[in-house]
Amino acid sequence: MSKVYFSTWRGEQINNIGKSDDAWENSAYNLPLEYNEHAHSKAFIGWDGVALFNPDVDVVRLATEYAAQYQVYSEACGRCAPGRWGGRILYDLLDKIARGEGSISDMEHLKEVSKTMQETSKCEIGKTVPNPLLDLMTHFESEFMACIENQKPSKHYHLEDTSYIAKITAPCMDACPAHVDIPAYIEGVRDLRFDDSLMATRQTMPLAHTCGRVCPHPCETECRRTNLDEPISIMELKRLGADYETDHGFGFFHPSEKKPSVGKKVAVIGAGPAGLTGAYYLALDGIDVDVYEELPVLGGEVAVGVPEYRMPIDKYNQDIEAVKSLGVNFITNTKVNADMMRQFEKDYDATLVATGTRISKKVYCDNERPEIQGYWGAIDFLDKVNLQVKYDIMVPEADQKRHMLPSNFVDLTGKILVCVGGGFTSMDVVRCAIRANAKKVVMLYRRDEKTIIRNTTYEEYHEAVEEGVEFIFHSAVAKMNDENDVLKSLLIDRYELVPDPNGGRPNLEKIEGASFEMECDYLIPAVSQSADLKLIPEEWEIERTSWATIKTNGKDYMTSRKGIFAAGDCEYGPMTIVNAVGQAKRAASVMSRYVQTGEITLTDDEIMEDHLRKLKVYDKKEKIKGWLPGLPRQHSEVLTVDERRDNNREVKYGFTQEEALAEAERCMRCYYIAMVAH
Amino acid sequence: MINFTINGQPVSANKGETILQAARKAGFYIPTMCYLEKTTPCASCRLCVVETDKTEGLILSCQTPPTEGLGVIIDSDRLQTERTNIMRLYDVNHPLECGVCDKSGACDLQNKTLEFGVSAQHFSAKDQHRAIEHWGLINYDPSLCILCEKCVHVCNEIIGDDAIELQFGGYKSSVIPKNSDTLDCTFCGECIAVCPVGALVSSNFQYSANAWELTQIPATCVHCSAGCSLHYEVRHTSNALGGESKIYRVTNDFEHTTLCGAGRFGFDFDQQSEKDEAEFDKAVAALQNASAIRFSSMITNEEALILQRIKEKLGIKLYNEEARAYQSFMNAYSSVSGKAGFGGSLDAIKQSDGIIVVGGRISSDNPMVRYAMTTAARHNGAKVVYMHPIEDDLLQNVITQFVKYEVGTEEGVVAMLAKTLLENADIGDELQSYFKELDEGYLCAESNVGDEEYARILKTFARLKRKTLIIGSDLLNHKRAANIARLCAMIETHTEFSVVVVAPSVNTIGVSLICDLDADKGGEKVVGYNAPGDYTMGSFADSMLKLPSLNAQEGTFVSISHQVLPTNVAVAFNGYTLNDIANVFGIEAQYTIDYTAQLPRNRGFNGTKFDDLGNFFGTLGEDNRGYTLDNIDVEVSGSLEEVETLPEFNGSVVYRCNPINQFNGYTQKTSQLEKDTTLRGSSQFAAAAKIGDGDKIRIEFPQGTQERIFKLDPTLKGTIALVPAYDVGFGVLNEQYRFEKVKIMRMGSES
Repeated sequence: MSKVYFSTWRGEQINNIGKSDDAWENSAYNLPLEYNEHAHSKAFIGWDGVALFNPDVDVVRLATEYAAQYQVYSEACGRCAPGRWGGRILYDLLDKIARGEGSISDMEHLKEVSKTMQETSKCEIGKTVPNPLLDLMTHFESEFMACIENQKPSKHYHLEDTSYIAKITAPCMDACPAHVDIPAYIEGVRDLRFDDSLMATRQTMPLAHTCGRVCPHPCETECRRTNLDEPISIMELKRLGADYETDHGFGFFHPSEKKPSVGKKVAVIGAGPAGLTGAYYLALDGIDVDVYEELPVLGGEVAVGVPEYRMPIDKYNQDIEAVKSLGVNFITNTKVNADMMRQFEKDYDATLVATGTRISKKVYCDNERPEIQGYWGAIDFLDKVNLQVKYDIMVPEADQKRHMLPSNFVDLTGKILVCVGGGFTSMDVVRCAIRANAKKVVMLYRRDEKTIIRNTTYEEYHEAVEEGVEFIFHSAVAKMNDENDVLKSLLIDRYELVPDPNGGRPNLEKIEGASFEMECDYLIPAVSQSADLKLIPEEWEIERTSWATIKTNGKDYMTSRKGIFAAGDCEYGPMTIVNAVGQAKRAASVMSRYVQTGEITLTDDEIMEDHLRKLKVYDKKEKIKGWLPGLPRQHSEVLTVDERRDNNREVKYGFTQEEALAEAERCMRCYYIAMVAH
Repeated sequence: MINFTINGQPVSANKGETILQAARKAGFYIPTMCYLEKTTPCASCRLCVVETDKTEGLILSCQTPPTEGLGVIIDSDRLQTERTNIMRLYDVNHPLECGVCDKSGACDLQNKTLEFGVSAQHFSAKDQHRAIEHWGLINYDPSLCILCEKCVHVCNEIIGDDAIELQFGGYKSSVIPKNSDTLDCTFCGECIAVCPVGALVSSNFQYSANAWELTQIPATCVHCSAGCSLHYEVRHTSNALGGESKIYRVTNDFEHTTLCGAGRFGFDFDQQSEKDEAEFDKAVAALQNASAIRFSSMITNEEALILQRIKEKLGIKLYNEEARAYQSFMNAYSSVSGKAGFGGSLDAIKQSDGIIVVGGRISSDNPMVRYAMTTAARHNGAKVVYMHPIEDDLLQNVITQFVKYEVGTEEGVVAMLAKTLLENADIGDELQSYFKELDEGYLCAESNVGDEEYARILKTFARLKRKTLIIGSDLLNHKRAANIARLCAMIETHTEFSVVVVAPSVNTIGVSLICDLDADKGGEKVVGYNAPGDYTMGSFADSMLKLPSLNAQEGTFVSISHQVLPTNVAVAFNGYTLNDIANVFGIEAQYTIDYTAQLPRNRGFNGTKFDDLGNFFGTLGEDNRGYTLDNIDVEVSGSLEEVETLPEFNGSVVYRCNPINQFNGYTQKTSQLEKDTTLRGSSQFAAAAKIGDGDKIRIEFPQGTQERIFKLDPTLKGTIALVPAYDVGFGVLNEQYRFEKVKIMRMGSES
């Protein structure tokens, strides 16, 4: 809900100009009324309409500036005849009218050019730029006509009292936590310019191989093509650019040249996706970066958590090499503690904490004692599997004993493993257990099949079922049974959904008498993880969230202590790779300015990015014009069950070139331009 | 097959075809300004929008495949209005300089402006000053540019130079050199060819003639074995009656074919002569007394047949070491494959999703093979393994695995490659034991190619479906060429690979099929035809009897794709021809092309007369040039020999390799092509040979010495330098094994 004088946003028709207070209508949308803490917005104008927050807005100038911004923001234009010339003509004619030299025929030409742009432009930006302009010309015709008839400039034409801030976006870009320029990288594939594709990705996302494989792709949920038939396979198309770079042994296609050193130093704690991303963008900005990593290997959870068959380490290492190639210094086998943090504060200009969430939470059942053998946290279980599979780092003797392993790797031959979970981590556990030759692998999940698919992916769930994982839905562990501290069996309760008689959400209720006992050698809790924040010196009194993660304002990622930043799971709680990347990218940008100026600021682009995310760019009700429905989404081939269940080969082959091109052709290039006047 | 309708008429499309492609096939016209059949759609002009019964707005026909039952309307008032408006936009501020523009008369913008009746500037926008760029052989005028992006697409997708890109800037957008201040490319000029307006033009041709004054002579390029289609565009040089005509430029049917820089810019190699009877008599006398004729493969099939007839009539020998090497190679090859020719072609390379290249410097040896590889790499994501002692920078964006072997060890490398590729093939016990008995450890160690390289090839190719093996010309003159050929033939016979052998010259293959060649042991009284001899005739300044050059002749060549391709006379020649000489010996024919129908049927020629040969492409790209040679069955009698001890090449080694766009004495004669004659080497080579950049050096080959300037080339690595051969005579590149141990002596510095 927003208080506006006038709005045509998403088809609403609100005009409160001249109305009394009690007759005012509010806009139904989260429009950016406050640009930032220093400035109120005067107007918002974009692909889907225009909203005025101030009665004094010069609408003729507003229209002119919007057309001008389309010219300025030309990365997304210049690529089709209607957009290139049409955009220029819009601007020239509007400016002519605004400065008091227009004629009636200019209004006609504006409408004519607008129509052709709307019908034939290459991307949505060209198709939609005329929309708010026509709205203004229709609803405020008198103001335009006044300029023409009197041959006088518009009311604020010669005043520099307003800032016009524009921003390019797209539904997918907006949905992506890292705001990757998705249409650009898909266009790179379509045009067979794979280097351009990769550079577009790396503008905001250095881990192209990784997020071309194991991203839960929230972008696809907000892909506009869904309104027509099926979403674009956005995630997998990212691999084309990354593979091109790797296959041909090019150096690294960075989005811009590394700036010369600015003589500032930053410490990054943790070499996972957030740490790597922070380091990458700080280094690009000419800042010296030391990354401290507790493990002997780089990559964090993606390296030691995500299994080889989903994320081959040689591909991930390419992403890591791209970061290294900028001169980032990595210090492994070094667990940072509070004393070191105190020292870092003196030695470095800023510190980024990106330590993730590496403590497996309990399942909260009776007799859940960590000393029982067979009780094995998911994070540690996956560490042991992946260190051996990917790096040949064998399980140390003490751990072998602790976990009852017959040899120095995770061999579950003849064993029964039960995992409690429902998210990606638990899927990784059970599928790794299959590959470790377990006799039986069971996943217990409190909710139903539909929810597990929503929390992971359809493919992930079905592949696990195919490989032989047994899923028991609506179930939970009630008790662990042990003999002399060795796990023997589990008591499992069953639940059912009971509809709320008051019409609310149905409740999960235990089914009395349905509990049963299940033999079991290992219980792997994979319900969630928490952050280990012992490294933060207590006297810093850094604020925490109610989830016991580090608190920031979610915009600049500075903690309550100046110069100490946090990003990724340790800030947000266990979340996705792309979320960690997005946060760390923003944190790096803020930190880069902070170490150079001492100030915490956001760029206009970042402010607009946050505004648009609040407004939400994707409109699932929109009817799509100008694209033919019924062109199916491409699916890349996967290994058969027999080919994959006893080894760590990558399950997905990835697109063939033919599939990739067909998929890229489906992308509708839904770029939009939005602008705030303040 | 997808069935749909266009304007109510039923049409069908293959999977992967777009509405535009299906429409064109069915004979419907949809206007376009940026569409190029051989690249991915540029999708910039938007003229090809159509209406359908399943969409509200207009959709783009060039990038949309039809769906079953779709009803498409390709002309309507609504479409006409929008298309007209697009043309009005294209015409905004387009400079009114058609009077002097090179493109005028053949300009897509002119054509479409007239087609849509845009007779005045309807919209206006502020004009902008834009400077003309001078990029060597190419000029770019951004104010004429309509930003269709065709140039950018061919450069990246077909050529592989990836030397230009679009600088996005809305109204200010333009084409700029990529990662460079000026254009840094191989100057194929294909960007000029595809430019629909006069924005990209040949700097040499600019302002010299109008499109409508030029006569297009369809011909076949003579510079390498690809047999590219081209048009010599000729016009008189003066308005006076009887003004000599000359070639003004070369163009190509760019929708369907591609041309390299040598083909496009290297056309002025003809020379004039009058009939000099005295010299003619000397030539006849020389032949009468000759023991042999030495000739190059830059010759038509018809003249090759005349030489064969002269040989038979006079009982003399025929020398052509280059073609003889190819002949022996293919004889050995056929003895295993059972076919006279290899099975691959340029088209097969383009279609491939996996390519292995062994033993040749493809980017300079045969640009069309390179372009076919680029096409495959970009469009099919082809995996490309390049095996050679020297890395090639130009191929980096094509190659996915570079395998470096030691000079001279090709037999071992090909044996290991065959073993790898035949691993899962059904090859019988004898062959199996042959490969089992290969001394893998020795071959890998001596060739310096580890078994992990072969394992990687095996893994990469396991899932690929359309595979090509390209045999470079290094292997043709290898001491062990015959066994190498048999190993390659084993691969084609027992796997899904098709093989292409990169023949060196325009008609190496034709000569090898037509002539019985003798080993060139030198000797006295040799008549050279475009080759050294005691008496020489041919098309060079130092030929004693001047005969017409290949752009002044009609006849046919056999291309690398086994096509028999016609070429025509672009410039008149008033002197004698080889046929005139043959007539003296009673080998009678009125015209040289009378021999076209007599080309040997037992080698695959089909007896078609010259005048019945087409030389054009259909509107949908159907190749109507000449005909394809029959691949004749031959007896299978060959068996593999044991791999010999692999030789070692220590010390200073040079590789005969021409610079880009240089091939032979013809390219050397032309005015536009760069003539780099330096020995190019890495700093490592320079250090070993104790020479530096710009040094004057003497290279001692076993056959003689050459004096050259040494140029330090930062793109090269390793201990082998590249020495050109185009400037020392025909066929020299491929008369011996291309690598040579030499002595290098510093003679001073350049100044």
